[in-house]
Amino acid sequence: MGTGIYKRKKPLFFFLLPAFAFLAVYLYYPFVMNIVNSFQDIPRLGVPASGMNTPWYSNYVQMFTDPVVGTAMKNTLIMIGVTLIGQVGIALILALMVDNVKYGKKIFRTVYFFPIVISATALGLLFNLIFLYDKGMINQMLEGLGQQTLIDWKSEGRALLTMMLPVMWQYVGFYFVILMTGLNNISDDLYEAARIDGAGKWQSVKYISLPLLHNVLCTCSVLAVTGALKVFDLPWTMFPKGMPMKSTFLTGTYMYYQTMEARNVDYGSTLAVLIVVLGMVLSGVVNRIFKEKDY
Amino acid sequence: MKRAMALALTGSMVLSAASAGCVLAEGAGSVELNVTTTFAGEDGNAQNFKNAVDAWCEKTGNTVSDTSATSDESFKTRVVTDFETGSEPDVLFFFNGADANSFIEAGKVISLDDIRAEYPDYASNMNDDLIVDSLVDGKKYAVPVNGYWEAMFVNTEILEAAGVEKPGADTTMEDFIADCQKIKDAGYTPIACALGNIPHYWWEYSIFNHTSPATHLQVPASVDDEQGQAWVAGMEDIKTLYDDGFFPENTLSGTDDETFAMFTEGKAAFLIDGSWKVGGIASACQSDTEDPSTLDTAKLDKFDVTYVPGNGDRKATDLIGGLSMGYYITQKAWEDPDKRAAAVDFVSYMTSDELVPVFAQHTASALKAAPEVDASQFNSLQVKAMDMMSGVTSLTGAVQDLFQGDCRVSTFDGMPEIVSGKVSAADAVKEGLDAYNK
Repeated sequence: MGTGIYKRKKPLFFFLLPAFAFLAVYLYYPFVMNIVNSFQDIPRLGVPASGMNTPWYSNYVQMFTDPVVGTAMKNTLIMIGVTLIGQVGIALILALMVDNVKYGKKIFRTVYFFPIVISATALGLLFNLIFLYDKGMINQMLEGLGQQTLIDWKSEGRALLTMMLPVMWQYVGFYFVILMTGLNNISDDLYEAARIDGAGKWQSVKYISLPLLHNVLCTCSVLAVTGALKVFDLPWTMFPKGMPMKSTFLTGTYMYYQTMEARNVDYGSTLAVLIVVLGMVLSGVVNRIFKEKDY
Repeated sequence: MKRAMALALTGSMVLSAASAGCVLAEGAGSVELNVTTTFAGEDGNAQNFKNAVDAWCEKTGNTVSDTSATSDESFKTRVVTDFETGSEPDVLFFFNGADANSFIEAGKVISLDDIRAEYPDYASNMNDDLIVDSLVDGKKYAVPVNGYWEAMFVNTEILEAAGVEKPGADTTMEDFIADCQKIKDAGYTPIACALGNIPHYWWEYSIFNHTSPATHLQVPASVDDEQGQAWVAGMEDIKTLYDDGFFPENTLSGTDDETFAMFTEGKAAFLIDGSWKVGGIASACQSDTEDPSTLDTAKLDKFDVTYVPGNGDRKATDLIGGLSMGYYITQKAWEDPDKRAAAVDFVSYMTSDELVPVFAQHTASALKAAPEVDASQFNSLQVKAMDMMSGVTSLTGAVQDLFQGDCRVSTFDGMPEIVSGKVSAADAVKEGLDAYNK
């Protein structure tokens, strides 16, 4: 066989075609149809549109005046902040500490990673029991400590915190493992040289670990932001229908609620368009802020 | 060696082929039916349904893939969506009101007339006058099993502690509010209800208290007409009870399961719910919810059931109830030559003269020859339910069964906003009616 096989590009297209066709059918076509649907009047899920909305942009007007959309957007942005600080931040601290541990690194790695392998729905049910109003784990503990009244951890004032804590906790291990891998890639020679020059632990972290982790942290941050936009199952299990008072909706859960529960399919499509736009804008911003460096 | 290996391989091939043949032979003739019902969770007939399905499978050699779930809005959405996406079950036990409109309009279930054209004895043991006509085309589709009623369950232990009499046939809403205040003052929660999750029963009765058995089933044309104002007044009544602090502290954030647990654990006094809750309360009094022999009868004796206090033209003894559900056979099963007969046989078995009384117990049925109820087999709450039913002056269907889908959102999912004053009752009702009339 001659070297011509490496010069001919046509076979490459042949192998790329199935994946392209798959994406075209299951991603790009539904995406375009979703935009079309957002201008139409669709009575229920699975039935054809009865025509265009009057006016055709009415769902977009509704979206900009819907106070719940504002709440969902605000909650989503808070979720992004929580994932960046709570997930990546805590994971970084844990990774730096475990990196300095002589024995038992594997145990820590397994323990912190474990929540990732449990389904989010199961975790939601678990945390429902933990935060239960009557006979919940936390309220029982507080009762044991002398608390006289029960605390409603899902009340309007506390619901957001109650929802975000488990989400944050769930993914710390994921970023912890990525950051540990990044730390392991830093040569021990650098730390040894610093130690000979009289650098302490904190100085080694500040001047060696953190700068050399920059690219890994950027990757984690981009993953955290895009991941926060997709969070759905755990919040929905703990706070279905945005309970209480529609205060815990995220953009994803509100879209699902409008489509599947309120059966307002065309409005759900409009919210899906919003999510895509939000995702594109935020991805652009995040990629600019967390730009990787060449060393 | 090679010959021995070849023989061994040939032998194993023959054996596996033979065993596959056995499986095929065993499977021949047996049909798997996909069935979904509301006989699940805390429904008092959940165990009866399981037993009946097991018996039918044993008798026929068929199998049932049971996807039953607790009756709530999510269940209704799931069923309707299953139909719309072409993944509907073969047989379903579902509501016969407006909730069924979408799949009846789409021609995805078979009417009794069509089934009887081929199976003349189908549901012949039922009184056809009591089988509800479809709102879509006036035909009959769903074969009923047991009726239902909605009433007020009472934790008598709390009433005794608060010095309150059990509400009766003459109790008005004013009396009830005074009783609730006494119960609250005694340190208990008067009403077990998760307004943010299942406000349905209070929604229905609060409206009923401003209509009458004759007018209750009319959906208002407008929020400004007499019926529309009755709905608004009903919503405002719930807000008043909320403002008075008669619902649990977590009524807007908790689930129905949580508030029901408050009721059964002696923390809340009143619970409006359906006849299926008789079984649910009995289960809560068992140490093993699956085993009725573990029933704590002394605990169950502390519960009672009575009428929801009346107002205006509605007497307390006018209840919400009727035959709101039944077995449907889907077009998909009907067109499958293997499943058609099995589906007809399954529904016939489940609605037979022998099985219906097991499910109906203290509620009505549509049987032509309904047997005398053997109350000796009943637990104390079932007996109390029978006593209560003997004093009922009328049974009216639930208007929410006619008011389906997105029009409910503003007053069901939106109940927390109404009671907390974020949205006025009039605006919420108007929004729902606008969606209904769209």
